[in-house]
Amino acid sequence: MFRFQSLDDDCTLEEEDEGLTAAEEEIDQFNDDTFGAGAIDDDWQEEHKRLANLDERDGQGAGAGGGGGGGGGGGGGGGGMERKSDLGGTDDSSSSHLAISAGHHPFPSSLPSLNFSSSSSGLPPPDVEDRGGDGDLAESLARLILEADPAIAGVGATERPCPSLSATGSTLSTHHRFDQPRVLPQHSIPNPTHSHQPPHHPQHQLPPGPSTSGIPLGPPPTSMLSYQQQQHLLRRGSAPIAQMNSHSIWENNMGFGPVSVTPGLVTHMEDSPLISIIKEVGLPKLPPRVRNDEGLDFSERVPPPRSSSPVIGSPPVRAVPIGTPPKQPISHNLNHQNSPLCRSPFPPGVGPVLSQIQRAKLLNSQVAGFARGGPAPPLLPGGGVFRPFFGGPPPPHGHRMGPLPPHGPPNHTPPIRHNTTHLHPQHRRMLTQRMQSRGGDRGRTGGDRHSRDPYSNLMTQKEKEWVTKIQMMQLQSTDPYLDDYYYQNYYEKMEKRQERERDSSKKEHTTKLITPQVAKVEHTYRPVQFAGSLGKLTVSSVNNPRKMIDAVVTTRTDDEEKREKQVWNKRRQILYTVEKMYSLLLEVQDFEKRFVQAPEEDREALLEQHKTNTVQLCNSLREKEWDDRVSDEQCVMIMSVRKGKRLISRLLPFLPSPQATAIVMAIARNLPALAKKDKQDQVLCWLVEPLSTVIQSLSSSAITDLLQELQGSEGQLATVLHNKFGVTLLYLILSEGEKMQSSDPNCQLMDDNRWTELVFSVTRELLSVPSSSLSPPLVTPANLLSLFSRYVDRQRLELLQNKLQISSLSR
Amino acid sequence: MNYVPGTASLIDDIDKKHLVLLRDGRTLIGFLRSIDQFANLVFHQTVERIHVGKKFGDIPRGIFIVRGENVVLLGEIDVDKPCDTVLQQVSIEEILEEQRLQQQAKQETEKVKMQVLKDRGLSVPKADNLDEY
Repeated sequence: MFRFQSLDDDCTLEEEDEGLTAAEEEIDQFNDDTFGAGAIDDDWQEEHKRLANLDERDGQGAGAGGGGGGGGGGGGGGGGMERKSDLGGTDDSSSSHLAISAGHHPFPSSLPSLNFSSSSSGLPPPDVEDRGGDGDLAESLARLILEADPAIAGVGATERPCPSLSATGSTLSTHHRFDQPRVLPQHSIPNPTHSHQPPHHPQHQLPPGPSTSGIPLGPPPTSMLSYQQQQHLLRRGSAPIAQMNSHSIWENNMGFGPVSVTPGLVTHMEDSPLISIIKEVGLPKLPPRVRNDEGLDFSERVPPPRSSSPVIGSPPVRAVPIGTPPKQPISHNLNHQNSPLCRSPFPPGVGPVLSQIQRAKLLNSQVAGFARGGPAPPLLPGGGVFRPFFGGPPPPHGHRMGPLPPHGPPNHTPPIRHNTTHLHPQHRRMLTQRMQSRGGDRGRTGGDRHSRDPYSNLMTQKEKEWVTKIQMMQLQSTDPYLDDYYYQNYYEKMEKRQERERDSSKKEHTTKLITPQVAKVEHTYRPVQFAGSLGKLTVSSVNNPRKMIDAVVTTRTDDEEKREKQVWNKRRQILYTVEKMYSLLLEVQDFEKRFVQAPEEDREALLEQHKTNTVQLCNSLREKEWDDRVSDEQCVMIMSVRKGKRLISRLLPFLPSPQATAIVMAIARNLPALAKKDKQDQVLCWLVEPLSTVIQSLSSSAITDLLQELQGSEGQLATVLHNKFGVTLLYLILSEGEKMQSSDPNCQLMDDNRWTELVFSVTRELLSVPSSSLSPPLVTPANLLSLFSRYVDRQRLELLQNKLQISSLSR
Repeated sequence: MNYVPGTASLIDDIDKKHLVLLRDGRTLIGFLRSIDQFANLVFHQTVERIHVGKKFGDIPRGIFIVRGENVVLLGEIDVDKPCDTVLQQVSIEEILEEQRLQQQAKQETEKVKMQVLKDRGLSVPKADNLDEY
């Protein structure tokens, strides 16, 4: 290749100047090194023409006239696409285009023959000398690499030398950021995330990506330049190893950490030139651990800036689950096969379709790949590296070559090491078998075809891996039995089948699959907060949406919770009982209507049902099954609910007498409590009417008992009097008693003194209680006065009258 | 070489000639150059092939980007395999004409069918606003 020769020429020239201090000249020297005298013109227009010519020829072959035109257009687009993909797949191809074109226009003629100044730099000669021991082959190879990479680095950038050397950290970093999408994309080398970068950068790496790539062209070239200058200066001292180029090769992947790449690298050159190159350039640093902060494990590579994936807030990958893509690049050999450099010769008029950039990219990926596969014998990959150069037609200028290392057929693919650890062992076995059988067939036919395709590898290795990674991520599972049920089951069945078939002595087949699972880590995004500031920066993403409400969790102790629960449960129970009783009650109430309407035959059944219902109602008032009495507690519970009170009031008429009495007793007994509970609802008064009915049916002893109950314990009467309902009840009772007495002189009311005593106490209470606290009753029976006149003297009677009248009048 | 052993992926199909059937019924043939996670496809040197009866015609389309959701099926074309098809290739104009005639005939039968159904009091809604499936 003609370029080699020009490089040789360059070498000789560079040795002339050594101690130039002017920044411009340093830059020029650098450019000189990078581009060399015979650099290929990267002008896209020419590229396009070339591709168009190519396509036209293809199109004619295909026989469709339109195809040529379309192909030409496609070729142009393809060329553009190629360019774009070369530059790491920036989505702003236009800007990159502009960058290139802008970068080139000032030097339309200079690039092809970049003899900026034949002044040499201080840098390359020491390198050359260092490697001198190895022969020209190594030298030329290294030169090629040197030339290639900085070529990329320098594309579109080196318009004019930047006078200022003050490349601050910010320019450095912006440059880096900017550089990334544009400069050296396709590496399969582990790429430590941007968190390597200087801390003043925000932690959100991806969103700023596209924006930085859209930086106008003015600053970036400058910054790039200054960066290069800086690196250059840095390097000056450490002559042997750290080259600008080495840095630029790996800069994407190693960030600025290894800026001072590896001064301590072994510089002695050994057998293979490749090793020498690797040692010069340095092995890429694998990330020390999975990068957990801020999201996904993209530690190996930077996804293209167009993928503004919402890493923020997304769960970190801590384990190696089923869907983990392999850390190593899967196959570099795809590129080998498709390398246009090893295809059959094109018609001589058409130069290589891939520009210098693309070739360098290929080289890098290859070198990168092989550098990564360090343990592999260097010869084989070394053979691979050589292939692009020597697989093609013999270089026209009789370039000096060392002896070709023996290597297999041109398209032989060395075995790819897939990471299949996550798969079931059976599965793995099947896969390897399948691949072996397939590998033989494909190798032969595929190579030929691909070798003739100039548009191959538009989708770069990195991009393929990126897509693969995304697809793999979707396979990650915290619960493989849930997500991949059929896979798990299938292999389980297979295992069982095998176990059955073979004897148990063969232990090797009973390999259990332990599926790695992503730990279900509950992690929260803590927004960034600067010290001393009043706010928090929050970046919303799909995994971490904006907080609308800052809800505070109130924790309650266990005891409290239990108590609360109990209370609620009880209440619910009561409500439930009330509801059930209500439905029964409604049926009972409707019975008559239905009975009337029902035909003769059904009446019996209806009657039966009615009886059952009634019985059930009564039963529900009982607390326990075997206890016949109406339960006080139950009644009170029911009455504590408003609906329950209503229920009782409606229920009373339907109850048999003893139970009704019991209920009334219960009410009287618990009146204070009921009154208290009723404060809000004030529905006790509903009970008045049914109660009065019941009372009127009571016997004298029952009345007495009732009055006694009402009076109950000490102070109960006062409370009773306080309450409207209580007063009403009291009056009802008294009136009933009076009625009894007056109607039937033989009534047993006077038999024991209880009644009298009770009435006395009532009157006492009535007198003592202040008028204000005396509640006006709902009903004031007329015969109260006559009642009292029996028991109290005139004076008191008058007082009572006044009081009660006042009360009654005030009603 | 599957990047993702144990799964299906389009990565292996890159740079190979493919035939894709789209949801609107078009058939495209081209070199698959690029994919993404949604299976959006980038085709190069695309040709739209129209089939009418035993004839077919190719319309060169250049570069196509197909949104993943519109793909019905996608298959690789083996360029080495001998092509022993009974189909006859014709020019673009001819095939378009044939297609137009086919569409016309279809519409007419459709119209007749609708009329017949209408006479019987049945009506089938037009599939304009409905999705294909």
